[in-house]
Amino acid sequence: MIMAAFRTRASWRHLTCSRGAERFFFCARTRPSTLLQPLPGPCGAGSPCRRLASEAAACGNSEIQKRTFMDEEVQSILIKMTGLNLQKIFKPALQKLKPPTYKLMTQAQLEEATRQAVEAAKVQLKMPPVLEERAPINDVLAEDKILEGTVTAKYVFTDISYNIPHRERFIVVREPSGTLRKASWEERDRMIQIYFPKEGRRILTPIIFKEENVKTMYSQDRHADVLNLCIAQFEPDSAEYIKIHHQTYEDIDKHGKYDLLRSTRHFGGMAWYFINEKKIDGLLIDQIQRDLVDDATSLVQLYHMVHPEGQSAQEAKEQAAEGLNLIKVFAKTEAQMGAYIELILQTYQDAFINHSAAS
Amino acid sequence: ATFLCKVYYGGNLTIRLTLGGCANRPFYRIVAAHSKFARDGRFVEQLGCYDPLPNSHGEKIVGLNLERIRYWIGCGAHLSKPVERLLGLAGFFPLHPMMITNAERLRRKRAREALLASQKTDTEATETEAS
Repeated sequence: MIMAAFRTRASWRHLTCSRGAERFFFCARTRPSTLLQPLPGPCGAGSPCRRLASEAAACGNSEIQKRTFMDEEVQSILIKMTGLNLQKIFKPALQKLKPPTYKLMTQAQLEEATRQAVEAAKVQLKMPPVLEERAPINDVLAEDKILEGTVTAKYVFTDISYNIPHRERFIVVREPSGTLRKASWEERDRMIQIYFPKEGRRILTPIIFKEENVKTMYSQDRHADVLNLCIAQFEPDSAEYIKIHHQTYEDIDKHGKYDLLRSTRHFGGMAWYFINEKKIDGLLIDQIQRDLVDDATSLVQLYHMVHPEGQSAQEAKEQAAEGLNLIKVFAKTEAQMGAYIELILQTYQDAFINHSAAS
Repeated sequence: ATFLCKVYYGGNLTIRLTLGGCANRPFYRIVAAHSKFARDGRFVEQLGCYDPLPNSHGEKIVGLNLERIRYWIGCGAHLSKPVERLLGLAGFFPLHPMMITNAERLRRKRAREALLASQKTDTEATETEAS
């Protein structure tokens, strides 16, 4: 019964949408994949009927696939939202002072240089991974009660062989009680930093990550610096990394300083966190106030993709809402500050109409 | 017989600890060297390090390049007793018999001392009762 319902809904969509490239783009956007796995290949324009059949066949068997951070669609939406403000990305960082260089270029050369700058900017905007917290290691390899009184301090043995990935390295600890156990994650990170030092990482945790100092950084609006230091110091799936990131995002949400992270590589992670915590109201308001309505719509879309069983997702699907209507549907159903969002949308629409009428 | 080119007569390749560091601050490097060379002299390859003083977290740090150690042992290298002890503690080798023997002796000595101490307190208690 579910398969039949999906088929009718999807075929109705095919009839209503227009021809050409828009069709596959429309399919790509409005396949909310409530009961489906994401398709392996890129959405091509060819043979939608075959795709429908395979989806219909699959949705009976597979369960609701939870959206992860690394899905292609999720990543593309987040990259689009991050924006590409070249002035901010290549902001002068503290460097050795040297006199500026001036180059005389033709228009074509300038375009070429801008294109190269955009490529470099995209490399700098590569998002750090968002992983779940790692499980603590509690493996005991051997217990030798014989050695109980002999050893006074613990011995930490690290395998320094060169071509082993750091995750698979053997790091074991022999306790004074004689047990031989695998080292915990903090000990592992410390040992790997001692023998294979990484730039920017300290062996002992820097005091900037303590509560008071972090709060000072927040008051000086240096959230991006905090996050960069955090990425340099901790592994992406360690507890401190996740805790500091969540703290930073909460602080930004509290004060509404979303623009600080707008063109940095942390924006995607922040948007993902808000979507998972269902707190996207502040971000939506900020985007609409800065006239970034496309970003706002894609944010709401992403929200529906991640929480497909929520009320707003169902309503949006029924109404097949687009653009501002989508935000209105979301504001009516699941937002905390729904009335405020509607008000801002209204003012934006009026301003838009006035502007287009004037020009 | 090993297939290594021996410079000295009667020596062999040994994996042993080389002492470095400063006054009152030893630091050992685990090194593959010919046994006839000086302790801190020419070696073939460094295979790790051992810091005998515990650090701020109370750990003694030992680094072992197990891949190369395996290679040299496969080539027929001998091992010195401290290195065998360290590898036994690491779990790469079985525990050294001398370590187990020393542990047993230490335990017996402690048991004897505890017994003597308890006997002395007993005799003192009886003396104080008698007087």
